[in-house]
Amino acid sequence: MISLDHVGKVYQSRTGETWAVGDISLDIEDGQFVTIVGPSGCGKSTILNLVAGFLPPTSGHVRVDGKEVAGELPDSLGYIFQKDTLLPWYSVRRNVELGLRFHGMSMAEMQRRVDDLLALAHLTGSADAYPHQLSGGMRRRVALCMSLAVEPRILLLDEPFGALDTHTKTHLHRELLEIWRALKQTVIMVTHDLDEAITLSDRVVVLSGPPSCVLLDEAIAIPHPRDVFELRQTDAFTRHFTSIWSVLGQQFKATA
Amino acid sequence: MTASAGSAPDREAYLRAVRAQARRHRLKVTLWQAAIFIVFIGTWETLTRIPWFVANTIFDPFFISQPSRIALRIWLWLQPGKNSLWPHLALTLEATALGLLVGVGSGFVVGLVLSQNKTLSEVLSPFIVGLNSMPRIAFVPLITMLFGLGLGSKVVTSWFVVFFLVFFNTYKGSVGIEREMLDFCRTLGGNSRQILWRVRIPTAAAWTFASLPNAISFALIGVVLAEFVGSATGMGYLMITSLATLNATDMFAAITVLSIVGVGLVYLVRFVERRVLHWLPEFREN
Repeated sequence: MISLDHVGKVYQSRTGETWAVGDISLDIEDGQFVTIVGPSGCGKSTILNLVAGFLPPTSGHVRVDGKEVAGELPDSLGYIFQKDTLLPWYSVRRNVELGLRFHGMSMAEMQRRVDDLLALAHLTGSADAYPHQLSGGMRRRVALCMSLAVEPRILLLDEPFGALDTHTKTHLHRELLEIWRALKQTVIMVTHDLDEAITLSDRVVVLSGPPSCVLLDEAIAIPHPRDVFELRQTDAFTRHFTSIWSVLGQQFKATA
Repeated sequence: MTASAGSAPDREAYLRAVRAQARRHRLKVTLWQAAIFIVFIGTWETLTRIPWFVANTIFDPFFISQPSRIALRIWLWLQPGKNSLWPHLALTLEATALGLLVGVGSGFVVGLVLSQNKTLSEVLSPFIVGLNSMPRIAFVPLITMLFGLGLGSKVVTSWFVVFFLVFFNTYKGSVGIEREMLDFCRTLGGNSRQILWRVRIPTAAAWTFASLPNAISFALIGVVLAEFVGSATGMGYLMITSLATLNATDMFAAITVLSIVGVGLVYLVRFVERRVLHWLPEFREN
């Protein structure tokens, strides 16, 4: 369980203060897939940084399993950045092994786990390739595998598919859902793409412009397994889209 | 053409075409290099044989010698015997190699350490820039007094030049590692020592490598500088004695040998770099 209790974050700089996160309270159950959407500058990524302990909150409390995060990295947390975080001098296999090597895992067990992960992410054929030989979508999958290798129970995704084309993105959505259904992590994703948010999540949280607060917290009543290619044409999808967009669209307009 | 019938032979043909193109490119580069070399040497050789140019311009063999004489001198130097070049070259190369080793090693370590300690790097910054701005030649007599006429002073002079070059490159490379990369590795469970070995050092090393061609040239210059001032051996000693005896051929022969050595060493480093840093964009094969 991840809980944000009246969390606020102010960035201080020479030019003044930026009040990014106003007052946010959220409780996220174990195994839930929550997506945070909102206009740019509303502190979506800041919230992930607070949960990961990369930043301390200015006010309020961030707790993971009841333990205060306060600038410390919680156990068993994975974080996928929008930027590429592959090591260019390692092959795909060596990249995925990185976290396991940090943990000093035995070669045999590491081999087995990496093989499983590469198969899960459809990367088996590229195990010996180097990052520069891969497409953008494949690099995203490798980053996901690197993170999943250490079996995090919490996965924070910061606009993970932001730079990809729709086709690649949709394929990755399907794979992410498969992985999530198999491993059942708690996921918090940040995105500006409402289609993506509804397709993937159990719950979509809409934030206001800065200083942000929660405007809408909608449960997505679409049962799993979901067909990511057909989903957009269903009535349920359209209903959720309309209801969330009625709030989010106003925010986009206001902060433009 | 159908894919099933034509794909295998097509690929062979494609690879052949790519290789042929690469060969043509290499040939073109070599021909241009040869042309530039021939024009340069040819002009030098020809003009120093025309009396008018010898009398009225700098093309006087007394000052700038002549390519044929230089080539002959190098040939004679290469023969074993009393006037052989080999002992001098060996001593210069030995000092260069040691200067490089010490300079690159210390520059790398100091660059890496300072890149991780903001306060220390800010404190030391003006001193480092100040030291680097000092004319090395002014220090050579002092270095010679302190470290003697032999290997020591050559290595120290060489180090004095190489260290800064490598330091600045390594520092810049290591400081430039993205925050996200380090945070990501922390979420994978890496402690700072593991992240140092697997992320920081390889990133910095790529930048250190980039400084090596220059480091080699400067290491060589540093050693020759030390040999100029206080040494009875080495290529620098050969140059300074030929200058003293107004022997232009000897001097240009020594300079030529040094630049050939420099080109050889730099190409060696590039070869190693291409192997080690095969993942850098500039070495990608397309």
